[in-house]
Amino acid sequence: MASNSSTVARPAAFRGVGRSILLTLPIALWSLLMFTPTLQHPGRDRIIGGIAVIVFMTALFFLMMRTGETYRWRRIFFVALGFLFPIGFIASLVAERGTMSIPISRMVSGDTPFCFMVTPSIILPAAFARTIIFPGAIMSTATNPRSIAIMIGLWFAFTLVLGKAWCSYACFFGGIEEGFAALPKRRRLHKFVTKYGSVLRLIPWAILVFVVLVSAAILEPVYCMWLCPFKAVTEFPAVRNVETAIQFGVFIALFVGLVVVLPLLTKKRTQCGFFCPFGAFQSLFNKINLFEIRFDRAKCVDCTLCQTSCPTVALSKESIREGKTLLNCMKCGACVDSCKKDAAVWHLKGTPVAVKPERARLLFLYGAWGLATMFGGTILAGSLAAIIGFLPWK
Amino acid sequence: MRTRILSILAYTGAGFMLLIAASVPFVLIGAFSGVVAHAGLHIDPMYSGGKIARTVQREGYRIVVYQPVQPQMLERLEPFVQIVFEPADRLPAHVSDEIDLDGDGRPDVRVSFTVPRDANAKLRGDVTALNGKFVSLTHVSDESFSRMVVRAGNEIVVRVPINKEVAGR
Amino acid sequence: MLGLTTGPVCLASCGPVVLPWMMVQPRGVRAHSRQLALFLAARLAGYMLFAAAVWLVGASIPQAWSGRAGIGRTWLFGGIEVLLAAALVVYAAGWPRRRCALAETPRALVQIGEAQSARQSGALALGFLTGINLCPPFLVAGVRAAQLPSLWAALVFFVCFFVGTAVWFLPFLSLGFVQRTPALVIVARMVAALLACWYGFSGISILIERGIYG
Repeated sequence: MASNSSTVARPAAFRGVGRSILLTLPIALWSLLMFTPTLQHPGRDRIIGGIAVIVFMTALFFLMMRTGETYRWRRIFFVALGFLFPIGFIASLVAERGTMSIPISRMVSGDTPFCFMVTPSIILPAAFARTIIFPGAIMSTATNPRSIAIMIGLWFAFTLVLGKAWCSYACFFGGIEEGFAALPKRRRLHKFVTKYGSVLRLIPWAILVFVVLVSAAILEPVYCMWLCPFKAVTEFPAVRNVETAIQFGVFIALFVGLVVVLPLLTKKRTQCGFFCPFGAFQSLFNKINLFEIRFDRAKCVDCTLCQTSCPTVALSKESIREGKTLLNCMKCGACVDSCKKDAAVWHLKGTPVAVKPERARLLFLYGAWGLATMFGGTILAGSLAAIIGFLPWK
Repeated sequence: MRTRILSILAYTGAGFMLLIAASVPFVLIGAFSGVVAHAGLHIDPMYSGGKIARTVQREGYRIVVYQPVQPQMLERLEPFVQIVFEPADRLPAHVSDEIDLDGDGRPDVRVSFTVPRDANAKLRGDVTALNGKFVSLTHVSDESFSRMVVRAGNEIVVRVPINKEVAGR
Repeated sequence: MLGLTTGPVCLASCGPVVLPWMMVQPRGVRAHSRQLALFLAARLAGYMLFAAAVWLVGASIPQAWSGRAGIGRTWLFGGIEVLLAAALVVYAAGWPRRRCALAETPRALVQIGEAQSARQSGALALGFLTGINLCPPFLVAGVRAAQLPSLWAALVFFVCFFVGTAVWFLPFLSLGFVQRTPALVIVARMVAALLACWYGFSGISILIERGIYG
């Protein structure tokens, strides 16, 4: 841990129970506020799901306050989101149309929910031709509440507050590989990742440029149609000819390779760090986001524990020497929690480094956890309700 | 002094971020969605079928004819015209209509299909071109975005390919 | 006018090839101007070749090339896309000092790499291949040129068409201001490799389709 087995050399309790509860109170109240409509829902499954999520998110935040650690507790939420979202989503697809595949009729009727991963691909055609190259509805409808306007609005608001921390607190796909990465005790391809990490982390940028250019040229969302590994666990265009069969094969291969096998071998978030173009796109917003992780050079002993623990190779020897992370840092807190010298710290841009880092951490976490509860928590509650609905004793 | 000012600005900014986070579900989603909705954007005609050209009233249902959709940029799309029969639940069991697609007053295609009782059942239909401007389709369902006879919600969507030589490409 | 109005399509067709290649040229507007000029000159040569071919053979060629199967889904188009993919692979691999056997005369056409002369070569090879790439506006222009009364008129038509489309490439000069870093060079090479996969897949699928359906 954070993603390897190194233990953190800090007291078991960072903060007293009373103070931890006090600091958790805003999140508890926020959770109640967010899930009040759910608690008034006539369905018992929904109410149980809502209560479970309120308790879950509040408890995890309390533990963050009590222990002073971020990564371990955030990961529990994130992995839960990563695994429960597909379950709930697939359940709703099967209930509605009996299959995970999207027939053309759904695309034509505008009932396809909008996925944030396509955002970079649609920007150029939207800017120059006012065309959204995605089959959905601009505004929400009864059959498609996840409209383009809503999802883009949500994404923009999140990105303003979190920057690339979207990839640690909001993305409902990243938790899958984070879960697989956490399973093994040892990493097996450590030398490979260490040697080639500086090149591997450039791949998402190349894929970003590629999908943006080609999507604008052929007016199709290239990433969605050809490169998204998560089509394997959500929905995909129905296989009706050779091309769609090849697409399906690519989705499966990418999912198995990047999301399951490589995280098991490397204990890294390989899809996020070495492939996802949306992650590269989000990295740009780290430039303007106020929160970051910095390194106190006075305390750092260059043990590189932080570098080893980083799930997306967002640290290099040069960057640590400069006291910074690389642009693709997703603010998961793994490096901070793994540092035995408290050299890696949360930081608010504009303030002195390592002066009251806990204050920066709190300010960041209130925003991040609040949004995570609102967005990810809602997804969790829905998925839990769907699972409860399938239970035999119901 | 400079450090102090920067710190004040930083904490003010952080507070502002928290305010943004708190207002997301109540104000911001709606505001940002509204901006996107009023930005004059439209769904690519390959998916939406394009703009409506005219509506023809029949007994109990309507036929909506759309403007021709041509591929833009390097779009991999056959040009087509979309026709929508709505509402699907008011259609007769068997539909066979001659429709004027180009607005010259003469029918261009005959569309024929049987409406399945089960709304989820796969639909197949035929389109017979009555002149050289369009391409006939036989027993087609959802062959491609330019060639289909499908049920989408409470509508039957038919897409008829335009003869490329006539389309000028 | 045809060139100006269809410029975005040309940009969409050729831009993805030009962008990663230009990103690894040395910084400086002057160097970029020279490279872009070489690229456009080679592209113009491709245009002239096509103009002469369609005028001599007739308008039926472009019309046949935009037949039922889809615009440009012909043997020639598929072959050009595969060649373009190969050129991009060579470029992405950064073939610095090796020379193709065919490259001795004229050397500049084929060799792509990091050597001084090879930078010019890259411009010529990529420019020519994109110049004969059969995108829809190109075919439309071909039909019109074939119907002109003389070969000279067809060539002049294509020069004007070229000028109209070339205007859209001028913004690439701004890439001269972008700071060059090793990371940028690597990303540009990776983009070229991905585009090679894209063009290669597209070209091979066209060739297979033609092979099956004729």
